[in-house]
Amino acid sequence: MAEKKQGRLTKVLDYLKHDDPFSKGVAFCPGCGLELLLRFIPRVLGNDIVITGTPSCSAPVLLGQNNQSWHTLSYFGTLMTGAAANATGLVRYYRKAGIDNTVVCFNGDGTANDIGFGNLSGAAERNEPFIYICYDNEGYMNTGIQKSGTTPYGATTTTTPYGSVHKGKNLRRMNLGLKMAMNKIPYTATATLSDLDDLAKKLLKAKEAKERGFCFLHVFAPCPTGWGADPADTIEICRRAVKTNYFPLWEAENGRIRMTKTVKKPKSVGTYTELMKKFNHMTEDDIKILQDDVDYEYCLLGGLSVLEAECQLPVSVKDQGETS
Amino acid sequence: MNTTATPSRIKVITGNAAAAIAAKLARPDVVAAYPITPQTEVIEQISTFYASGEMDCELITVEGENSAMNVVMAASLAGGRVFTASSSWGLVFMYDAVLAVAGARAPVVMVNVNRETPGIIAVSSGQQDMISTRDAGWIFLIAEDCQEVLDLVLQAYRLAEDYDIQLPVMVHYDGFFLSYLSEGVDIPEQKTVDQFLSVLKTQPKRTVLHPGEKLGVGSHGILGGYMELRHKHVTAMERSKAKFEEIDKEFADIFGRSYGGQVEEYRTDDADMVLVGSGSMCGTIKAVIDEQREKGVRIGLVKIRMYRPFPHKALVAALKGKKAIGVVDRSLAFGFDGGPIYTELKAFETRMDGAKLISFIDGIANTDITKTNVEKMIQMTGDLADGKDVPEVTWVSYPDANTKGEK
Repeated sequence: MAEKKQGRLTKVLDYLKHDDPFSKGVAFCPGCGLELLLRFIPRVLGNDIVITGTPSCSAPVLLGQNNQSWHTLSYFGTLMTGAAANATGLVRYYRKAGIDNTVVCFNGDGTANDIGFGNLSGAAERNEPFIYICYDNEGYMNTGIQKSGTTPYGATTTTTPYGSVHKGKNLRRMNLGLKMAMNKIPYTATATLSDLDDLAKKLLKAKEAKERGFCFLHVFAPCPTGWGADPADTIEICRRAVKTNYFPLWEAENGRIRMTKTVKKPKSVGTYTELMKKFNHMTEDDIKILQDDVDYEYCLLGGLSVLEAECQLPVSVKDQGETS
Repeated sequence: MNTTATPSRIKVITGNAAAAIAAKLARPDVVAAYPITPQTEVIEQISTFYASGEMDCELITVEGENSAMNVVMAASLAGGRVFTASSSWGLVFMYDAVLAVAGARAPVVMVNVNRETPGIIAVSSGQQDMISTRDAGWIFLIAEDCQEVLDLVLQAYRLAEDYDIQLPVMVHYDGFFLSYLSEGVDIPEQKTVDQFLSVLKTQPKRTVLHPGEKLGVGSHGILGGYMELRHKHVTAMERSKAKFEEIDKEFADIFGRSYGGQVEEYRTDDADMVLVGSGSMCGTIKAVIDEQREKGVRIGLVKIRMYRPFPHKALVAALKGKKAIGVVDRSLAFGFDGGPIYTELKAFETRMDGAKLISFIDGIANTDITKTNVEKMIQMTGDLADGKDVPEVTWVSYPDANTKGEK
């Protein structure tokens, strides 16, 4: 067992070919999933990426404060409303000027799924050649834990609090990754921090696929502070999210979905929710609603991957690569 | 406007076409835009130039104005020459990025085809969109006719990208009146425009955002440096006034057309009274002034060409010592007795050696500022000069406002 574990670890380290451009101590909460992801990306993709970010938890570290920066990457700190449009502006000018580039548009779920979804959708339509990474912590954490479109059913936030009438979010979460895959962009994938080799592979695939156009990575990144979890449990939360199919790992090339990890005997979603206080109040019936949602989404994903394998990929998708 | 050089190519085109042709002549690297009445023709023309290969740029037909401004902001900060165009609701929809562009000192050039913006979906003329965004930190220029649209867009690039300025420039022209009006426009040759813009290449290179250069834009500047940046923004805006005058002179040497810089004065030298206006109304006002001069009325026009930064020194110099000044606004300022430009000019009244000011509101919601209307304004300004009792504000095309309006 120990040997096998060592083997896995070595495999991840093999992908870390570049320096960590971030300062050793940065202003994130203990156990922050975002920090781990943020440090991981340039170590895999290189320090010559241009990273764009918006007001969010990532902002103070990613965008710098006052005259100081927490890292040595080229970056563009911008607006939540136009994140994908900003990345578009960069890659289009670099292309016109003949400058090699890897632009990573790095945003939370609030920007990606909610306020900035219009321009994310536009960038997908135009097949813009950059990598959009959404770190999904299922809410607006920086402003103090408010509900977003990816906050799951039942979860309490400061705008979906537990009250005597309304008990947490009474709406299902949106499936951002699947929404993007349906655009048949060159590469879409989900990933999380318990499966770093999977994440590293997907980052490298995206770097290669962005030569053909738009790439989208949906990364599940827990927020212990906002979710009421032990900071030591961040990776365990990710692991259980995968093992319960709450957050399945898959990729899609030109929209064709393929599971990158299949869970033979998925655990009940209750084994995932029990790690976080935001689900504390949920009754068995509430958990059943969430379980049904997870099962339905997973079934749909499986169904799509089978259906797509049977369907002929149209030339318009195969040949895409030229932006409008 | 004085024309001295030989015309190169005169074509009868709309203001929108003039804007598109000017953009083409400036050879931008990146153009992003979204359609909106009355601007749409600008991006249609640019798309046609792009499709035919006449324009070698990255053209991004975005999914909304907000993205248009965000695209050109980033492309500009990366080092590109950029262009976009919008109007009214579109300008408002991109407003967060409009502010960000100014703060980042990105030399973006755009045209805004003025249109009303109240909640009654007014597809009609007016400068309310310009007024509502006036303190975004952009340089605002206003064109009177189709020729000036073309000329101002070219001058805007010289101003925006100048190393000592580095500010975004918005060229405004009246929707419906100039956007769709066809008139003769002298279209300069490409090599002449290249020559005019080539000065920028001799200047030091501005800081740009490139891969691997360990450079960032958009820090959380909460404490140190923020006040300094804001002050530098103000001083750069001030510098742009003299720079605009310089560029106008240089433009005249190359293209043979001069407009006078921040303000254009028309028959003001011996005038007792002056109308202050901006945009397309000025053509009508000039025509009426010529007629009134025949009758011995000593009236002139001061046309505002640069609206932000507010050219108060040039305005005071032009208006000082006149007996009466009528300011024509195509928009509203709530809580003030008078239009926005009138209200701003009032702040300098004490420097005008006793000149008295009155406000005219006209030309909003597709009402024409007709010759009759201008005659009425001149009559009232004359009455003011003669010491008669004249209301401070007059809605020229809406008499009810002057009789029933609440005070």
